[in-house]
Amino acid sequence: MKTGTEKEVLHIKDLSYAYEKNIPVLKNLSMDAKHGESIGLIGANGVGKSTFLKLLVGLNLDYTGTLSVANHPMNKENLNHIREHIGYVFQDSDNQLFMTTVEEDVAFGPRNYGLSEDEVEHRVQEALRLVHIEDLRDKHIYKLSGGEKKLASIATILALEPDIVLMDEPSVALDPRNRRHLIHLLNEMEPMKLIASHDLDFILDTCERTVLMWQGNIVADGPTEQILSDKELLESHGLELPLRYYYGKR
Amino acid sequence: MSGIDKQLREIDKLNTLQQRDQWMNRCHPLVKLCLTIFYILFVVSCHKYRLSTVVIFAVYPLMMFNFADLSLKDAIYRMRLILPIVLAVGIFNPFMDRKPLMQMGSLIITGGVVSMITLMLKGFYAVLSAYLLIATTTIEDICVALRSLHVPKILVTVILLIDRYLYILAQEAQRIMTAYKLRAPSQKGIHYKAWGPLVGQWLIRSMERAQVVYESMTLRGYRGEFSYGKKRKMRSRDWMLLLVWLVAFVVIKRFF
Repeated sequence: MKTGTEKEVLHIKDLSYAYEKNIPVLKNLSMDAKHGESIGLIGANGVGKSTFLKLLVGLNLDYTGTLSVANHPMNKENLNHIREHIGYVFQDSDNQLFMTTVEEDVAFGPRNYGLSEDEVEHRVQEALRLVHIEDLRDKHIYKLSGGEKKLASIATILALEPDIVLMDEPSVALDPRNRRHLIHLLNEMEPMKLIASHDLDFILDTCERTVLMWQGNIVADGPTEQILSDKELLESHGLELPLRYYYGKR
Repeated sequence: MSGIDKQLREIDKLNTLQQRDQWMNRCHPLVKLCLTIFYILFVVSCHKYRLSTVVIFAVYPLMMFNFADLSLKDAIYRMRLILPIVLAVGIFNPFMDRKPLMQMGSLIITGGVVSMITLMLKGFYAVLSAYLLIATTTIEDICVALRSLHVPKILVTVILLIDRYLYILAQEAQRIMTAYKLRAPSQKGIHYKAWGPLVGQWLIRSMERAQVVYESMTLRGYRGEFSYGKKRKMRSRDWMLLLVWLVAFVVIKRFF
């Protein structure tokens, strides 16, 4: 598992957001993240994890507080620039993959950023190599299995060479082999990763730091093993121990 | 298998045809698009009584289907919804144009009959040539070709997004139908009382999914113009194909 270097890529201070007035989803949330860090974002259903991730990629801009990504404040003017630095892996890969073949989908982002065809080709090759799906290059999206779709989705993001990768439930619908493959892949990846998941064993395997959300706020932020082994903390916030601790500490 | 499943499988089959590593698939999309447009223009511009010319124009779809290793039977099956409409265009001509044009023994053939057959063939050929294009060219490549012809980018993008949205609509319809059937196993079709909620669900879900797909596109740099895939260079073989067929069209139109 890679640990973070000093360069700060994410700065959040007193971040609040509400879909409707007087019903805040996020409340005065603060955190920082450094390059190369791998952070697990955990919390019960409805605590605001997905909303938080959407704010980080600028899908909702009417927030209050401070939010800067790669040293750029998140606003309409900086949005295009910020999105060049940040990749978002959707929970449902069917929503992420929309071109005809894997190659076309992976090349979509680099082409949109105006890279030369040679550079696009290089990025596609490299992204497919990193996730070990070179053999799927010409395969139709609709012919991929669930695990292959997930890996292809990650490749579409890696082709952008982002500084930050956000993932929403990346281990959902993966069989044990693909899950292990994904864990290995995430542990090898360079960018800072923020992984929202209910799969606490997956978080244990991939993140050195964990942030626990509850009712729109961060209630715990620290080393993963420390947070995920704290039965009282987890249970008081709607979660349970990861399976590997659960059987040992019951 | 339900109707919607069949339709999705048909779309998948068409996608597979588009992805084949086949001579016709490797031709430059601009050449294929131009050939289709020119062919339709040449055929449509034939006079309504020049049946022989129109019959000879069958040479293009027949030869190209053969070159492209496509099944005419499959093409007719896939175009079965549009073909009756196209073929029905000249159906009233025999009643409106009763001028005798030729006589075969005791049988008098009127101008209306000839023009009806001519119109039907024109429509049939146009559908076949369009099928030839879409069975050998991906939607992205067709969009590249359209942009090369300076078709406005907004129009090309709309074409591409409609293609994507239709697939999403079909997938959502399939999910809803499957969920319905599993809970109404003995029922034939969908009960009329369920149509309203199902159609409402279908539209809302497909729109929500389209919204998320759009978000996914914007997060990967989409700014209103699609990156339509690899731009290919025209090779001498592509020019040759275009030239040979254009000459053939002129010859057929002029001398038959």
